[in-house]
Parts: sequence; C-alpha cells; structure tokens
Amino acid sequence: MGMKGKTARVSEKFPGVEWVEGTGSFITVDTQRCTGCGNCMKVCLADCYEVAGGKARIKGLDLCMECGSCWYVCAEEAIAFTWPKGGTGFRTRWG
Amino acid sequence: MGEYDVIIIGAGFAGPVAAKKCADAGLRTLMTERSENVGEKVISGLTIPIYGFLFGPSFIRDGNPPIERPVDGIINYIIKDIEQGDMEIDDSLKIPKPFSPVYAFGYNAYCKPFCEWEARKAIEAGAELRTSTVVTDVIMEAGCVQGVITETGEKIRSRIVIDAEGSQGLVALKAGVRKRYPPETISLADVYDYEMPKDRLDEIFGFSLRFCWGWDEQRCAPPLGHGNGLMVWPYRESIHYMHDQCLRMDSANVPNLRKLLSEYHGNITSKLPWWKEDVAPHARLRAHMWEGFEIFVGLNQELRSMPNHTDGMILVGDAAGLESTELCDGVPQAWISADMAADVAIEALKANNTSRSFLSRYDKRIKAHPILQWSMSGTNRFNLRYAQQEHDLAKLRRYVHDGWGLGALAHLSTPLVKTACRHVMANPLILMKWRKMFHRYYFNWHHGRFDYSGAPAGSREGARGRKEDARFRASFRTKQILLAALTPLLWVLAMLSYPLAGTLNPAMKVLLPAIEPVYAAILRITARLAGWLSRRKVSLVVNSDPSLFEV
Repeated sequence: MGMKGKTARVSEKFPGVEWVEGTGSFITVDTQRCTGCGNCMKVCLADCYEVAGGKARIKGLDLCMECGSCWYVCAEEAIAFTWPKGGTGFRTRWG
Repeated sequence: MGEYDVIIIGAGFAGPVAAKKCADAGLRTLMTERSENVGEKVISGLTIPIYGFLFGPSFIRDGNPPIERPVDGIINYIIKDIEQGDMEIDDSLKIPKPFSPVYAFGYNAYCKPFCEWEARKAIEAGAELRTSTVVTDVIMEAGCVQGVITETGEKIRSRIVIDAEGSQGLVALKAGVRKRYPPETISLADVYDYEMPKDRLDEIFGFSLRFCWGWDEQRCAPPLGHGNGLMVWPYRESIHYMHDQCLRMDSANVPNLRKLLSEYHGNITSKLPWWKEDVAPHARLRAHMWEGFEIFVGLNQELRSMPNHTDGMILVGDAAGLESTELCDGVPQAWISADMAADVAIEALKANNTSRSFLSRYDKRIKAHPILQWSMSGTNRFNLRYAQQEHDLAKLRRYVHDGWGLGALAHLSTPLVKTACRHVMANPLILMKWRKMFHRYYFNWHHGRFDYSGAPAGSREGARGRKEDARFRASFRTKQILLAALTPLLWVLAMLSYPLAGTLNPAMKVLLPAIEPVYAAILRITARLAGWLSRRKVSLVVNSDPSLFEV
C-alpha cells in the first residue's frame, strides 16, 4: 500500500490492510478461567480462535484487527487484552 | 515538575485537538501514539456531523482539512422483502436546495488523512509527537497521576495527563478510573471500502447517505436495535459500506458475527436492487476492516456516570464513553471534549492544582453541553428492537423517521439552537466564519484543495480555466459586511432565543405532523427554480478565488 515504515504482511482475505510483525502475544487466554463457551470464537471476524478440549485457544493473531471483541464477550474474564508492541499490528489507510 | 506540562495519550481525532490547544497556550506538550503512522489504526464509516465543525475546535472550522464529500441528506430504505426488492423510502431529512450542497449537514472523511492533518497542526503549534509508543499505565504518586509509563517501562513525567486512547480505554482501566463496558453496549462495525468513479458517485449518490433497515428474517442487515442496519457513505472516488452489530443480544446470546456479518454482506450485494444495478457494476472492493465502538454506553446510567477525570488526568472522546447513541458517531464529541479538556488543563496548571475537585469543572462542562448530552441520550436506534420484536411496520417507520428523517428535528432542534446561541452570544462574528467555512469546504472538496499532502485526491489547486465572477465576489463580501453590521442585533437575538430554545423540541413534536406536508409541497413546487439556483451557486463558488473564503 506504499505506506512508509516497516515491511508488512497482507492477506487476500482482508484487502487494504497490512500487518506489521513483532506484535508479541498481546491477547492471551487463561485456561484456568476459560469455560470453553466459544463466544470469543463467534465474534472474531479474523478467525483467531478455536475451542479444543473444552478450552479456547488462540490459533494465531496474524489477522487480528485489535477490536477487543473477544475480550468484551468473555464473561469469565479469561481473556487478557493489551495492545501489540508499538508500531506493529494491523494498519490501513482506508479506515 | 514533570518533563512535560501535558501528556496526551493517543493521536486519533481527539488527541491532536487537545495537544494543539495546550501547545498554543505555551505548555510543554507531548502526544503519544501506539501506531507507527498517525491514523492508520483508526476505522470508521465516517460522516462527521456539522455540529462538530460549527461548535468544535476553531482550527478545524477555519482550516482546510481533507474531506471526501459534503453530505446534504439521508435516504432511508426500509426493506420489507429483499427477494422482491420491496422497500419503502424515507428521504425527508435533507438540506433543501438552493442551500445544498454548499451548505452541508456533515462531511465524509477518511480517518487516516484527517487525523494526520490534525496531528500536523498540533506539531506546528509546538507539540511533540512520539509514535510507535504504547502507554500501558500512569505514574501514580501521592494519589495523583504524574505522567505515563510505556510498554518498555519508560516513565515520562508530566503535570497532567489527557487520555484520548479510544473506546477500549485500557489505560483508564489499569488506572482504576473506569470499568470494561458490557458487550451489549459495544457494537462491532464491519467496514468495506469500494473504489468507484467519481462521475458515477455524483450521479448515483450525489451528496446523500443511504441507510438500510431490514427485518431480521431478511438476513440483509443486523437485527434492528442491536447496532445498525446497513449504511453507505459516498466519498470522493469511493464508498464506505458499514453494518454493525452489538456483541450481545437482548436474549443474552453472543451472536456468531463472523457468519452473520458475512451473510448480510453477501445478501445485500447480491440482492439489494440499487446495489446490484447502480453500485456493483462500477465498484471494486479495496479494503475490508472492522472496529468495535461503544454504541449504547450513553443509555446506561451506571456506565454514563463513570468518572471522566481523576486526580491529574482527564478523559476525552471515546475514552470517556462519548459516542453518540443515535448517529453512531464520536468525532464531534471527541473534538468538543478534547477542546474542553485542554481548557481545563490550562486552567489547572495555571492554578497549580490538578486535583480531582479542580478538574471536576470538566465534568460540569461536559454535562452542561447541549450537544454532548443529546448525543448520549438518543433512543431511536436502540428502540428499533421493539419494532423488530413486534414486527410493527408503523413503529419502524416512526423510529426511522424520528431518528434519521425530518422527525429528528423534534430531538435535535433544542440542543443545536442552544449551542448555536451560546457561540453567537460569546462572539457574534462567528457567523461570518461559519458562512466562510461552508463555502471554503465546498470549494476545497470540488478542487481537492487541502493543506495536507497525503490526502488521497492530492492538491489540485489552481484548477484550470477558472473564471471568477466579480459580482459574486462583491456580493459575498457585501453579505459578510452586512452580517458584521448586524452583529449587535444577532447578539440580542441569540440572548432572547437562548432561554426559549428549550421549547423548540416539544413545539416541533406537536407542529411537525402539520408542517411536513406543507414543507414537502413547497419543495416540490420550487424544485426547478431551487435546482437552478443551487447549480448557479455551486458554479460561482467553485470558480471563485479561494482567498475569498479564508478566515
């Protein structure tokens, strides 16, 4: 997209958006608290979650758009949500 | 003493407004931003309503920000049967010609160039900007915020902090000032951006937004009252498409948004008649993104009473939960609150008192602002769910008309007139600035003339073959002088109108049913003449020398 700065990944699934590497694990699931309800999986448009063995698991944050929906819907407060490292994560010029 | 007088967390729509004002006042100001380039993480479908420009920061009103298209009306489609293309239209909310399109009720914009433009103004005023900087906490000493802590553990000290972090508000949570919002108050906005040739957009959309409201079983828009239907915004050479849905329903269910939102998008783009015929052949998908926002926080008394300030810190914009429940827009509230927060920060530092009790004047000003309070309390969008539950078409028509049709005047009139009166009472010459703003913004839009090099259209100033009309120049100036001469009278008028403004909403409620048919008839009868006058006005404005509209 010709934006200045670090190189970034793109995805055919979501055009017009780039993801800069090096985010760190900015969203984590506390498996002790997780009840496996799957709400996080249902609201994540980037399909970052799966539920396996009765627990939610982050498959990968590659396409995460940092909306926080998974964190909002987690009634057990099992999901910790922070921001990716400064200057990393998603970016777009079409917002 | 801190390294800085003020630190502002976040350079979205609100942050730079506060930063510019603080820097203009001579304060040592730092603005932090977590992204590498300002605005690249800001997502919205964006019409910024006109009250943001009229009553917001003066540098935006008097400047040349990058806008994508003026907006003069909303066409609401109530979809009764998408398979049959059966729908009703309510397009009653429209600025009438010949005032439109030069006089607009809002301006569409891309977030990134607009935020960058704002940030550049703040930097020019002397504020520092640190990008790629995530603030994770505040420095709390002696019960007072004394600066911020970044993700690397770096401590940056300041005498006061303005938190403009956005709707998730992680810093305010960490500092224990606010709580996480419940999911039924949060909506996930799914946004698509399509490229489209300008001449097709001019012809198909003109300056109107298109909103669609549909019954749940139509599977073409999110359930009524749980977010929005479908909204389409025409930009300069593109359209923004957005539907959004709350993260939790009345039934307490969390919907499968990934499945539903993609189903709605598929149905709309393949079945909605005007999308299939007018848009699809000319549109090319350019981007797909999403963002959560606090759509119904204002309607929940408990959430609404969460603190917007603490010792040493003030919260603004989305971080203070100031999203409009009705128009689904946070930018005017972000601008107005950031402007107020900067005023209070300047006063606090001058008095050398950043205590919670001193800063409470910020909360008082927020609560006393007619537009901020109105925008937090509109219930039409929420109430759509009752029309949905009862499948009551008459109810649906009424809510749509009262929210995004002419019926909105029964809610909007009092806050708009009250706020306008306040501004005129403070400085009646503002009327001349408002008039110039509408003309300048239209001229800028037409010619792609913005004082921002990164705007998508680029600068095309000095459009070829412009031939200024000397009579228009003379008449524009004469009217400005006339406005100035009438200043004392307008001031008196505002003073007299202000106490009466409270009666406007109830009066509109009673009178609108009688006025609307008459108004519609007048518009019909005068349509040809008004259309001609509007075209003539546009031609005169776009051919003028832009210095005529500068403040």
